Amino acid sequence: MSTAATQANPSQTPVFPSFAEVYQGLAGQIGMLREMAPAPTKSDEQRLKGAVDTLIEETNADEAVWLESCIHCGQCTNACHYFQATGEAKYAPMRKMDLYRRVYQREISPMRWWHRLVSKPVKLSDFEEASELIYDSCSECGRCTMVCPMGIDTASLVHHMRSAMVAAELVPPELAALRMEQKNMGTVFGSSPDALKKMVDTIREQAGVEIPLDKDKADVMVLSSAVDLVANGNGLLATAKIMNHLGVDWTIRSDGFESANFGLLSGDMSLWKHQVDPIIEAAQKVGAKTLVIAECGHAYPALRWNPMLSSGELPFEMMYMSEFLGKQAKAGKLRLTPFDGKVTFHDPCKTGRRGGAFDEPRAVLAAMDADLVEMPANKEYNWCCGGGAGIFLLEDATRLRDESFKIKIREVNDTGAESVVVSCASCRLNFESGRQKNNWDKQVHSLVELVADHLIDDETATKGQARGAAA
Amino acid sequence: MSLLEFARGPAIHAALIIMVAGFALRLLGVLVLTRGADMSRPRDAFGNFKGYRTVFSRAWPAGEFTTTTRYQTVVAYVFHIALLLVIVGIVPHIEFIQSLTGLSWPAMPNFLGVALGTIALASLFALIFRRLAKPAIYNSTVGDYVAWVVVALPLLTGLMAFAHVGLRYETMLALHILSSALLFAYMPFSKLMHAFWFIFSRAQSGLAYAHKGVRI
Amino acid sequence: MPSEPTLGGLLHSQGVSRRAFLKFCSTTASLMALPAGIAPAMAEALASARRPSVIWLSFQECTGCTEALTRSHAPTIENLLFNFVSLDYHHTLQAAAGDAAERALEEAMHANKGKYLVLVDGSIPLMEYCSTVAGHSNKESLEHVCADAAAVINIGTCSAYGGIPMAKPNPTNAVATGDIIKDKPIVNVPGCPPMPLAITGVIAQYLTMGKLPELDHLGRPVAFFGENIHDRCYRRPFYDRGEFAETFDDEGARKGWCLYKLGCKAPIAYNACAHVKWNNGVSFPIQSGHGCIGCSEPRFWDMGGVYDSVAKGNFGDGAKLGAAAIAGAAAGASAAYLARRKKTEIAEGAHGDE
Repeated sequence: MSTAATQANPSQTPVFPSFAEVYQGLAGQIGMLREMAPAPTKSDEQRLKGAVDTLIEETNADEAVWLESCIHCGQCTNACHYFQATGEAKYAPMRKMDLYRRVYQREISPMRWWHRLVSKPVKLSDFEEASELIYDSCSECGRCTMVCPMGIDTASLVHHMRSAMVAAELVPPELAALRMEQKNMGTVFGSSPDALKKMVDTIREQAGVEIPLDKDKADVMVLSSAVDLVANGNGLLATAKIMNHLGVDWTIRSDGFESANFGLLSGDMSLWKHQVDPIIEAAQKVGAKTLVIAECGHAYPALRWNPMLSSGELPFEMMYMSEFLGKQAKAGKLRLTPFDGKVTFHDPCKTGRRGGAFDEPRAVLAAMDADLVEMPANKEYNWCCGGGAGIFLLEDATRLRDESFKIKIREVNDTGAESVVVSCASCRLNFESGRQKNNWDKQVHSLVELVADHLIDDETATKGQARGAAA
Repeated sequence: MSLLEFARGPAIHAALIIMVAGFALRLLGVLVLTRGADMSRPRDAFGNFKGYRTVFSRAWPAGEFTTTTRYQTVVAYVFHIALLLVIVGIVPHIEFIQSLTGLSWPAMPNFLGVALGTIALASLFALIFRRLAKPAIYNSTVGDYVAWVVVALPLLTGLMAFAHVGLRYETMLALHILSSALLFAYMPFSKLMHAFWFIFSRAQSGLAYAHKGVRI
Repeated sequence: MPSEPTLGGLLHSQGVSRRAFLKFCSTTASLMALPAGIAPAMAEALASARRPSVIWLSFQECTGCTEALTRSHAPTIENLLFNFVSLDYHHTLQAAAGDAAERALEEAMHANKGKYLVLVDGSIPLMEYCSTVAGHSNKESLEHVCADAAAVINIGTCSAYGGIPMAKPNPTNAVATGDIIKDKPIVNVPGCPPMPLAITGVIAQYLTMGKLPELDHLGRPVAFFGENIHDRCYRRPFYDRGEFAETFDDEGARKGWCLYKLGCKAPIAYNACAHVKWNNGVSFPIQSGHGCIGCSEPRFWDMGGVYDSVAKGNFGDGAKLGAAAIAGAAAGASAAYLARRKKTEIAEGAHGDE
């Protein structure tokens, strides 16, 4: 991928494999996850009780109102890519909260005495059956909320169900394996601090780009992600090029660099928090004013919109890579060579509809004079690519993912653009998968890599110390 | 005690008591639950407040969904408006409300009441036909059908009573009042509570999304 | 005693023409939904009918029913027909009193055993000694007199359904004739008072056809009580147009608009008032500007206020609803509170485990 990008900078031979190769390599790794999945450790009764208790604990008035509000009007089916792709009743978004509602009705609702009389007790097998609805067929993209006349936030309800699934030890094997890896070893796909150091060294040695690792003080602390560290070195390389180009005082910290959060994806709230804490600590330690989250969609809600984190009280701002780039572009600090040809932008669910970073990535594209053609459904109404919220990793979700991606293909084709820009590793992997499986003739760019390839070189010479350090 | 006396007296009285108590029970039973807090910093300081717009803006589907939701939305609107006008617009209903609350207002001509009642019933049929025709989309439960019947009965019996069709007037009137009593008593314990929930549900989502700077 | 005169002879002696008599017969026949061709036969049968013995029992009543029958502004065939029957016992109308009157009753019962008609007005108190005649409670009298009767005709709502004496709080524990007499044919001619034509019509049919008329589910002759007053009301078009009098002296009332909102019970009342009318077809309550009070219906006095419209709920004010709201709110809040406590307990338990 991004062959145009490598050609734009002919002085360098590609250091890292193309994204097509990255995808294939990663797919092989994902295939092995299933065997690494932990077996349940608790008795069935404990698992069921844990699931039910988790839902009770996580249910506030908001969730209760949403569970009470559904009138089965069927509108949400219009919005869900998994339903639209398959037409199967069970994938209707409203169905994804049925089990949650049953637990709510029997345990919390003011009518619980009645529901206990008339509804069947919840069994562990109910949660087992719900797994497909909770993980495989819901990327928590929130598009159904956009059409729901009641405005029910189904995605957040599904997320609570994922928490219950963690307690029930029913997390799909791929996510369970990564969750356990992150929980026990602090790594994802082996992306340890050592791996980070190795990648930093590789980039310095082979691409000649300096990455200020583990600086004591820095204005900008940048996160990386497992995908970049174990497969797609280009991601980190591009980030470094841009930071150095901008001349900001930046660092990556080996005590807090991982954007990916399998606590959030699996539904494990304590792991979510456990994974976030060291990052926040590190950012405070270096005195960062800005924390830049790598292009890893779910990391944005994991950090920026982490409801457990009083981010208003933190001395630094958290922003997604696309937001950071967009702000720089808007401020005129990011000057880019023009991008030829029509392009469209895919808003990742987690940073778009469920994150609010719409303008910034578009500002970046505007900075390279790109001929941006919006998809028929864009921004808040953007169709999910089908791979978000960990679904890209799930083997069982392959059919759902592939079928729903056809909607995305249609949307992109409608624009007449030759390439599509994404700003999320999950989306990008899923696009790559869909591109290869469907022999799709579109190019898929990562925003950060695209920017790195379009930096105006002669200006960089006059910029600050970081660039100098790199040289 | 005749059926009408039973309907006008104990039945409707009990139903109203159940309805009022049920509304209070279910509303407070939910709204008094713990409040979750999103502690993250809002995108802009006063942005959250904009979330309340969703309560109103969600009254009509976004342009993105116009085609796919047109039938359901239009028919549902026709139904709700016609039903509401019939409920508050015709003389017998105003008389009933006045006996309960002391409030009164000018009524619409009866022919209009009949027309609106017929429209409401017809739209209700239009909705159930679609529900039956597209099972995958609606995922109907028993509750959906029960609610439909419970809503349709007062309309049907009301129209029949008004037109003096079917059984004797006082019997039709009694059936109308009894079916309304059933509706009143059933409302708080069914999906018909959406008459209240929609405000809270929309506002919550509106706030949650506005917090992130997204307008839904 | 002269030989028993026929009705024809009596009418003739009173100067009633045959034409007028035929007119009465055809009116009665048509009202009672008999075939039109039956009028001459009816006239023939009536003209030659012998005087039947009629015993009129008055219990808890106001004499309004008798008044309605006898105080017509001009002599009518209806009251002439009434003159024709052998009214052997009637407190208000008979000359005899005391023992003589009671003796007349016993004689009539004995002489016409199994053939006499019992006409009852007034309800019967089950509470002892609330109403007695000649030392007998009304219940005793009724049971005694009805034992050998051919049929019982209840004149007025009180005997038919209990009427006003039975209205809340029913201090005498009043009941209708039908609550006591179970083994005789009973015809209810309710109304407060009933329409005279309805009374005479029933008697005329009994005399001519030898049987009682077809009755509705409330024991009333379908011929007179089969139609809804609202359906036959000349003000009905105003109802359909939604034109209502709001008060008794507003523009609508002057224009003769519908009295529904002023409590007219016509929609739930069945009687011949609207089409037969009273006083020789002069008028009926709605025509004179007052809503129907539904007097021919059981328990009409307790079916909401006279000036409360049919649609009004009949359960007093909404005070209980306020109480219900408070009770519901309390229950809801406690349910939520208990749910919150459960949450806290789970949270503490979970942290204890860790």
